[in-house]
Amino acid sequence: MRTPLSGGLAAASLGLLVAGLALRSWQLVLLALPPVIVLALGSLFPPARPRLTAVRTLSRDRAEAGRDVDVHLVVQNTGPALDLVEIVDVLPREFAVLNGTNHAVVSLERGGSVPLSYTVRSPVKGDFRIGPVRVRSLDPLALGAEDAVLSVDARLVVAPTMEDLRRTKLQPRRTRPWFGQVASRQIGAGTDFWGVREYTAGDEVRRINWKASARLDRLFTNEYEGERSGDVVIVVDARRESFIGTETDNPIEHGVRAALGIAEHVLASKNRVGLIVQREVLDWVPPAFGRKQLYRILDHLTHVRPGGEWPFAHVAWVLSRFFPRDCLIVLISPLQDRAALNAVIAMEARGYDVAIVSPSPLAIEWRLGEQRPEDKTAYRILRMERDNLISQLRRVSQVVDWDPATPLALALRRIGTWPRPA
Amino acid sequence: MASPRLIPVALRAAPVVTLTVLLGWAIWDVSAIGDGRWIAALFAILGIGTAALVVSFVFHWRGIRAIGLIAIGAGYVGAHALVLGVQLVPALVFLSVLISQVELRILAERFAPLYEAGLRPDERARIHGALGRATLRLTIAAILSVVVPIIAADLAVAGVVPATTIPTAIALAGALVGVVALLALMPSLSRRAA
Repeated sequence: MRTPLSGGLAAASLGLLVAGLALRSWQLVLLALPPVIVLALGSLFPPARPRLTAVRTLSRDRAEAGRDVDVHLVVQNTGPALDLVEIVDVLPREFAVLNGTNHAVVSLERGGSVPLSYTVRSPVKGDFRIGPVRVRSLDPLALGAEDAVLSVDARLVVAPTMEDLRRTKLQPRRTRPWFGQVASRQIGAGTDFWGVREYTAGDEVRRINWKASARLDRLFTNEYEGERSGDVVIVVDARRESFIGTETDNPIEHGVRAALGIAEHVLASKNRVGLIVQREVLDWVPPAFGRKQLYRILDHLTHVRPGGEWPFAHVAWVLSRFFPRDCLIVLISPLQDRAALNAVIAMEARGYDVAIVSPSPLAIEWRLGEQRPEDKTAYRILRMERDNLISQLRRVSQVVDWDPATPLALALRRIGTWPRPA
Repeated sequence: MASPRLIPVALRAAPVVTLTVLLGWAIWDVSAIGDGRWIAALFAILGIGTAALVVSFVFHWRGIRAIGLIAIGAGYVGAHALVLGVQLVPALVFLSVLISQVELRILAERFAPLYEAGLRPDERARIHGALGRATLRLTIAAILSVVVPIIAADLAVAGVVPATTIPTAIALAGALVGVVALLALMPSLSRRAA
């Protein structure tokens, strides 16, 4: 490979030659020789073509965002000795190297090896590939270089961090026939007292209301409110227009974190959870119970990247075709699109319960901005517009205007039982 | 070989010292010109070069470092080609030192961090070897780039080669262009063949 220095020397030589001919000076023509001689020596001793192998090991192949992962790379020279070789283990741009280095310039003899150990951390979720290893054999005088790429890739899945929503009262209002933890307003198996009826053969003895039976001289049985489970569908708005802020601080990243927390909380309460993500494609996970479903949702959320321009109408269409009607829809959106209002009204009209968690893009922008006086005016105007939209939405659904700098649990707790009872 | 602690210091100091020598040399030669207009013009070129080098050093703008070196070289060559007359041996030495300065800076950028980072004994031996080979090549290149043109000039002046004819000048120019083009294209040709 040509280097800037070899190009510069060639240009200098030609320049002196042309100047010598133009000025008819044989001394100047002779001055064109030194750069050519240096170039010729460089060409006589070119850097050796690197032939290397590499093995990389990771301390873990799955990690939570913000967790450290140790990487150990061993590069071995299987070709000729290399006077000076530059080795770079290519990392995704989201990664930060905390300890050690992924870059080295060393001299490698035939059969020699060089270890590189370093610790990386990704502040954002994603399915990342570490590698390939890029190698450049350098001519110490910078007159040439030989490149090689070692295709040693390693996959590292970084999951989003999970919001702790354990104390949040978040549950679907309408229930399904399966046992769960949601009061169903129907008689059934549960712990909350519902009423008393006359004893019938087959009733459990422990359910007999002895006080009522003694008073009325007949046997009476307690009835309890049945606890059932319901369906929750989480809709994450990850469209391009929702990306406001930085790689780590934007409504989509915070929305994904909120979606995972809500999914975990609702699944732990023995309800079914489904997921719809508006991104480059409109992908969804049908509702299901349990730990496996949480991992399915986690896998989909890990791959969320801003993109696409799907209108909310398409989400409504997917909901009507592939999801049960009497479910609670949790829409997680920064509400950049005023069409959200019409979409929510349409969904409520079709019989869905809709609740909205809105990571505030204004709060994010305000934190990132310089907060000059003119910014304050703009912020106030935008704040009014957003408050206006949210107050209109609150007529038809429950809305949580969430500043992502505060825990989601706090924002949800401020509004009590969620969604509000009918 | 010198102490491992002295090597990075010497490597870092060498290009600075060489550059200072080059600049002093160019200023000395330009100040010997009698005509005030030429002095002003050539000092302006040298001033631009010095400013570019200082700015590139202070702000780490590598892009303008080349401008500084080109300006210093152009100031020296311009002074001799246009006013003072080219004296072959000093001019060849100047050009050779200018090229060596660039090479020394590259050696310092590549090897000094390795020594400063601390090396294991086996690594140190390998790096010593690589640095020694590079220094030897640089020395040979510097000597050849002075000696070869002097021999060529001697041959031409002695009349062994009729260098003053137009066909010889055209042939020499063509040969130089061919060599430079070949050297520039050689790496890409070898890669295509591989």
